[in-house]
Amino acid sequence: MSAPASVPAVTAAPGGAVDPVIVARDLSFRYPGAQRDTLRNVDLTIERGDFVAVVGGNGSAKTTLCKTFNGLIPHYWNGDFAGAVHVDGLDTWESGVAELSSRVGYVYQDFTDQLVRPTVRDEVSFGPLNFGHADFRERTEEALERLGIAHLAQSFVWQLSGGQAHLVALASVLAMRPSVIVVDEPVAELDPARAREIYRRLAQLNREQGITVITIEHHAEFVAEFARSVVLMAEGAPVWHLPVREAMARHADLAAHGVPAPDTVALTAHLGEEQLALDADSAARILRPHLRPGRPSPPPPAPREQDPADAAAAPHRPRSAEVIASLRGVHHGYRSVTGGLQVVLEDLDLDLHAGERIALVGTNGAGKSTLMKLLTGLMVPRRGTVTVDGIDTRSRSAARLADHVSYLYQHPGRMFLRESVRADVALFPTGRRLPDAAELVEEVLDRVGLQQLAERDGRSLSGGQQRRATIGIGLAMRPRLLLLDEPTSSLDIRSRDDVTGMLASLADTVRCAVVATHDMDLVASSASRVIVLDSGAVIADLTPRELFARPELTRRARLTPPQAARIGLALGLDPLPLTAAEVRAALDPALHPAHDPLLDRVPEEAR
Amino acid sequence: MTRRTHDVLSVEWVRLELLRTAYSTRGGIFSRMDPRAVLAWYVLLALAPWFTHDTAVLIGLFVLGAIGVALARVGPLVLGLFLIGLLGNVLGLLVASFFFGGDLGTLAALTELNLKLGAVSMASMAAFVSLDPEKLSDALLSLRAPELLAFGVSYGYRMLPILVDEYVTVFEGQRLRHAPPPRPGILGWRVILQWCTLAVTAFSPIMLNVAGTVRTTVEALETRGFTYAAAHPQGRRLRLAHLRITPRDVLVVAASALAIGACYAIPGLLGISPAPPGGAAG
Repeated sequence: MSAPASVPAVTAAPGGAVDPVIVARDLSFRYPGAQRDTLRNVDLTIERGDFVAVVGGNGSAKTTLCKTFNGLIPHYWNGDFAGAVHVDGLDTWESGVAELSSRVGYVYQDFTDQLVRPTVRDEVSFGPLNFGHADFRERTEEALERLGIAHLAQSFVWQLSGGQAHLVALASVLAMRPSVIVVDEPVAELDPARAREIYRRLAQLNREQGITVITIEHHAEFVAEFARSVVLMAEGAPVWHLPVREAMARHADLAAHGVPAPDTVALTAHLGEEQLALDADSAARILRPHLRPGRPSPPPPAPREQDPADAAAAPHRPRSAEVIASLRGVHHGYRSVTGGLQVVLEDLDLDLHAGERIALVGTNGAGKSTLMKLLTGLMVPRRGTVTVDGIDTRSRSAARLADHVSYLYQHPGRMFLRESVRADVALFPTGRRLPDAAELVEEVLDRVGLQQLAERDGRSLSGGQQRRATIGIGLAMRPRLLLLDEPTSSLDIRSRDDVTGMLASLADTVRCAVVATHDMDLVASSASRVIVLDSGAVIADLTPRELFARPELTRRARLTPPQAARIGLALGLDPLPLTAAEVRAALDPALHPAHDPLLDRVPEEAR
Repeated sequence: MTRRTHDVLSVEWVRLELLRTAYSTRGGIFSRMDPRAVLAWYVLLALAPWFTHDTAVLIGLFVLGAIGVALARVGPLVLGLFLIGLLGNVLGLLVASFFFGGDLGTLAALTELNLKLGAVSMASMAAFVSLDPEKLSDALLSLRAPELLAFGVSYGYRMLPILVDEYVTVFEGQRLRHAPPPRPGILGWRVILQWCTLAVTAFSPIMLNVAGTVRTTVEALETRGFTYAAAHPQGRRLRLAHLRITPRDVLVVAASALAIGACYAIPGLLGISPAPPGGAAG
């Protein structure tokens, strides 16, 4: 049926198939009631001990493919199944989900829904107990130990942070001692630093235990750095399966399927496959000889005093500018379940000015969300004052402060209170009887590009559309101060660029925007000022360029700078580049093609 | 009007109290016992009041229930709701009875029913506040309750904090985006009415959001042998192997049984006079 592209079908990993752990032959699958096959004539061999990244655009059946490995297809989803899948020598058609689950572990994209027991220890031992393994205690301890979360054994599942919850989900499949682990888009729901930690653990399991790891991934940066081979899926079948270096060299294929090349590859691709860099350090090593002559050669790392380019590009902190919000001597904390007071913010002083695009960064628990909630007036500080638009938040109810400040939650689903996007956008302006409510709603829907979908329930939209809908809800409140919590989390690359672009274009409507985020690409491309929070205190207040030039600061706040910035830092470039195009500007034009389509599209999307 | 951070009687406090109650973080004697013994104790105290009409005996059982509540360290939220419910019930019935020509004698007639209800409610509070989700589901499993019930109970507990969080978020959003009433009205009735409306309508987005998460959970259960365990009992044996009835469990249940016996016996021995049977509860 499907003739996968020009590439000669699926090539087995190099060296000839020695010991395949998963073999799919002529596999086709159609979901019950569907009009066409989701998987079409898949032929795929995965070797034992491989680290495979399955990539491809939305709807290319990546997840469906992986569900054939643990027997959920065809045993749980009874569709039309043709062909055969063998896992560890077992025919999945003839065995059951139970038998296969001890061979293939599956960690879902929405992994918190996968945790079914109240405590961590109980969660991890759930599988081994159900299957009646007498050594369930050892298995549990071993899995917790191996992932470095033994200290969480007694914790309740709802106390875990996102990264911890993912590790628990991973431990619970690891306790089954599987030979294959499938992880569906770990980066989607986690911040990049936590996702990197998950990948490190997976790489360790792969290396030390010989467990075959299969990840479904949109982010080529992680694929390049951790995977050994890459399966590119399109329209229900693999286009090719290649070792990672060869796969990255075919960046045009990847980009065509919604997986744009990482900066390292974009910068080194023209040098040939042997010179192709898969991570930032090797990119720096490879690019160093190609630096524009006459530049100060390699380290010492860039001194980060005032650089004029920066001052021009980001005229932040014009001290004379109007103050939109200010915090003075703010202390805040929460009662814990055991009754103690957990201090979250300590003695905070901060002014937010008109015209600023502020990024609020720091680890989980650093106080970002608390700061935002204090600014909305949903909470008032235990000590100190918060003033928004000249109003002390203690003197006004949150509902009345909403005329001045609006807050967009991290999970769009929690902001859809009405039956359609239009009704949700209209809720605020019509409720307050604004004279121009009707025009405002139309204008906002145009602006976020959702006129066509305005009658749909917000929950039925795709991730990127949901974000745009919530931004629309925020805009219709016509706030002076707009607060956004993680606006780009759990979006694929394309929708992320979409949302980033929209945030950048808000400048004319919103006086001041504050974005709490872990996404450093978003910080690099749209913030004029970065406030770094750590343990409830501001440890730095600077521009993105200044921030990424200070490795000791990014380490302390556990931030991962954009790849281009890491390459620039390793090369000792000053001013520090924030995009691949800026890195290229520092390279010798003689050794570098003047027009590189790969690079020219990077800044476009990032901007 | 100046707003402050309240540690008690705020939404956040209700959330914490729910968690403290559900996960029995306060400790107490029953939380250290075998869950099956706790259930046995509960059955004793919950059944005892239904076999008598004697007010004196019921007062004794009511006091026993109160002692149980104290030993189990029941939190203020649950206790407060219980008191409001009990007193509200008495007052409401009293007012109603006056309308239909009753007098203070009605109150005496109401006492019996409310003492019974109170004793049973307090025993329930003491027992269920002391059982965290795992203990409760293990106890149900060991008493041959259906697997699905035992699992459902523990899954409910696991979802509770998440639902509460979600609810608080949606409710906050409602407050921010709905216009506050222009004037509060007498005693702020407009504000209160709006709060109540929003509190109820906040449930619908939550239902829709939760519905979306169920598929993953059901698939995950399948892959982790939930249906396999239903057909193969060795997992159940392993899970319950850690349950042990200790001397303390026996002592507590036996002492309670004796105390109940005493409650029944003492008023009879002393004649009809309403004897304060508190001493028997030791």
